[in-house]
Amino acid sequence: MSAIQLSRRQLLGAAVATGGAAFLAGCGDSRQNAAPAQGTTLAYWDWYVSQAPWVDNEVKLFQQANGKTTIKKTTQVTDKYLDLVALAFRSGTAPDVLLLPTKPKLETHVGEGWLMPLDKWATPEWRSRFPANSFVEGVNIFGGKVYSAPFSGLAPALQLYIHNGVFKEAGLTNPDGSVLIPKTWDDITRAAEAITSKSGGKVFGLGFGNAQKGALPWLIELFCRGAGSPGGTQSVDYRTGRWTYGTDRNYADFLALLLDWKSRGFIYPNSMSISDEQARAFFSKGRFGMIVGGVWNQAPWEEAGFKDYSLMTLPSPTGTPQGFFYGAPGSYLMGLSAKARNPDQAWAWLDWFYSPAAGKRWVQGGYGLSVYPENNDPAGVTSPTFKQYVAMANTALVGPVPAIRNPEIAKVEVAPVQPDLPDVAAGIYTGQLKDTPKALKELEDRLNGALGEAVSKARGQGLKVSMDDYVFADWDIAKPYTTKRG
Amino acid sequence: MTDIQLVGRPRALIAGRASRLRRRIAAARWSYLYVLPMLVLLLAFVIYPIIASLGYTFYRWDGIGEPGDFVGLANFARVMTDSIFWGALRNTFFYVLLVVPVQLVLALALALVLNNRRLRGRTLYRTLFFLPVVTSAAVVGVVVQLLFSNFGDVVNDVLMSIGLTDEYVDWLGDPSFAMIIIIGVGIWHTLGYNLVYFLAGLQTIPDELYEAARLDGAGALASFRYITVPMLRSVGVVIVLLSVIGSFQVFDLVQVLTNGGPYFATEVVNTYVYHLAFGGFGGTGVERDVGLASAASFFYGMLLIVFAVAQALFLRVLVRRRGGRA
Repeated sequence: MSAIQLSRRQLLGAAVATGGAAFLAGCGDSRQNAAPAQGTTLAYWDWYVSQAPWVDNEVKLFQQANGKTTIKKTTQVTDKYLDLVALAFRSGTAPDVLLLPTKPKLETHVGEGWLMPLDKWATPEWRSRFPANSFVEGVNIFGGKVYSAPFSGLAPALQLYIHNGVFKEAGLTNPDGSVLIPKTWDDITRAAEAITSKSGGKVFGLGFGNAQKGALPWLIELFCRGAGSPGGTQSVDYRTGRWTYGTDRNYADFLALLLDWKSRGFIYPNSMSISDEQARAFFSKGRFGMIVGGVWNQAPWEEAGFKDYSLMTLPSPTGTPQGFFYGAPGSYLMGLSAKARNPDQAWAWLDWFYSPAAGKRWVQGGYGLSVYPENNDPAGVTSPTFKQYVAMANTALVGPVPAIRNPEIAKVEVAPVQPDLPDVAAGIYTGQLKDTPKALKELEDRLNGALGEAVSKARGQGLKVSMDDYVFADWDIAKPYTTKRG
Repeated sequence: MTDIQLVGRPRALIAGRASRLRRRIAAARWSYLYVLPMLVLLLAFVIYPIIASLGYTFYRWDGIGEPGDFVGLANFARVMTDSIFWGALRNTFFYVLLVVPVQLVLALALALVLNNRRLRGRTLYRTLFFLPVVTSAAVVGVVVQLLFSNFGDVVNDVLMSIGLTDEYVDWLGDPSFAMIIIIGVGIWHTLGYNLVYFLAGLQTIPDELYEAARLDGAGALASFRYITVPMLRSVGVVIVLLSVIGSFQVFDLVQVLTNGGPYFATEVVNTYVYHLAFGGFGGTGVERDVGLASAASFFYGMLLIVFAVAQALFLRVLVRRRGGRA
């Protein structure tokens, strides 16, 4: 066996040379290395996991149609997407095309100079293929320049999913043998009771996965909207311009009902510590009969071979929804980096992504509703459960948008409050907060205080805003609302 | 003349000292060279971020772009009046106060057992006890979380069948149990470190001392009290310090197992700072404020420095007193 002997100086020299080479290699632009000898490579980022089959198919079709353009897709982890995008822009390694993070507001990204205006390509003719009012100053237009476009159609954000097998085992069926879909809060209580009692406590009525703190707010959102609280957990009640967790009794009533379900053993006991993903898996295995979630649940379930479920939305005390899901006429999803190296090709990918044909495949694949109403035809959908979802599109309405009436309101920065709704909901559920009305009123006061302070501060900075900008006294929450421009 | 002497002497003195310092540095140049990479890393990843983040404490800033909303000392004032911060600090101290003594007693007891030369397979046992240390805390957390969430109801069924409980318990979702579980996992995860330190300390104690004690009629308990404990004192002080510092740094176990919940029941200061800086999951939970997080981090750092100095002084006095008595 031979041994190579190095002097201390040689060893050090070798180490420095190796480290230096590695450092220089690390500093190189990996995207340049990855680029083919000919043609263009576009870096594209998203957070789409369950939607990945659709994206991959669109990438394939786009590349077939644009021979010399290759898309290098990177799917980032959802809850760190904002950080990764911010770091990429600050370090000059941002992708050419990206899905835009929902926080902070798009205006912040534009203000940082990170995004490229699309006006060169997004001509009035191009914009005309979208529904009316899709491009709104303060939403996807800033300073008169377009930065993005809406992708999805207005749709119910959350649904109550029902495990058909569990319901049938509990005898919750109609005379024709079909599953008895609950519509009222009492129906759900009765269903949960039947499931829990008939299984001898082995199967539970409801379950959720609150490890990420999001599931309890989803329950509150779904049930309280149905009961007629138009802000849900997302916004102030625009009829008064105030947060109403403490003054609108729907919130306290629903939380009292939830605690009642818990005390009667209807709720899967590990719901506070499992993740939503785990809860969805347990639901599909029949560990509990009902779960609240979004349309994103459906594709993974179908891929896993679980199709024996039904869905409904907006359960209410009376069986008729008193409130709905509200959306803005304009929204945003995809944008181009201000430093995209091949802007025309980057635009070509964005244009493809937003095309009516891609939107149609999005709906047919069961991923959501399209911004183009003609794509949202249940007749074109093969999955029966997704067909039920598409048929619920009428539970999502256009609501008031303060930024349309006063674009300056988009510049108001409201400070976060703590504890916020996910915390308070968890505290009430676990019994750490014993006085529910008091906890909700304190939360309401914190949120309204933060909003008032933000408006005052904005006024101090010269912005022409007031608390009245959040008030739409003529809003009938049962009808679509057209916000008049200020 | 006098003036020249007064000025000249210090100059000569300084020149002489500088020359000696240069010679000493030159003589130990390889040592300095070997220390240099660590020093560079320390400066780049510890010292610089600390100094850089000091500036952020004076701003309200969400981490996007450059900070521009100057708020002065408001962030510090907010942290000092935030009941959630003090709750997190209380939880942190609770964790340290339980983990450190329990772990040290267990580690010392195991070290005494594993130091017995007549014990067969002691190398294997040492390896087994040290294995958790080389496993990432995040991985341990994920596995434990999966165990409790996937098999939590199996555990509940067993406990209910033997009458220990009459209802299902959400082990990681119940404020009465979550922190205890984190502490238990924390003790198990880093026990190996202290075990190895104690073993190293035990092996420095000359056998002759024990033989002499045995000849003098001392039993096992007396040998432990009058030989082992005094001889381990200096090592023990270091182990206590390292254990306390390590326990104050608890983060990943809490983040993975409970995310600080339910309702801050397991929030420790490091997760509190993390949640302020990076927000909650998927837009839920508190929204980000890097300025406030930096202020909380600095304030916590100051508290720890005060605590560490007090601890060091206390231990020094203790060692001196005991040393005096011995």
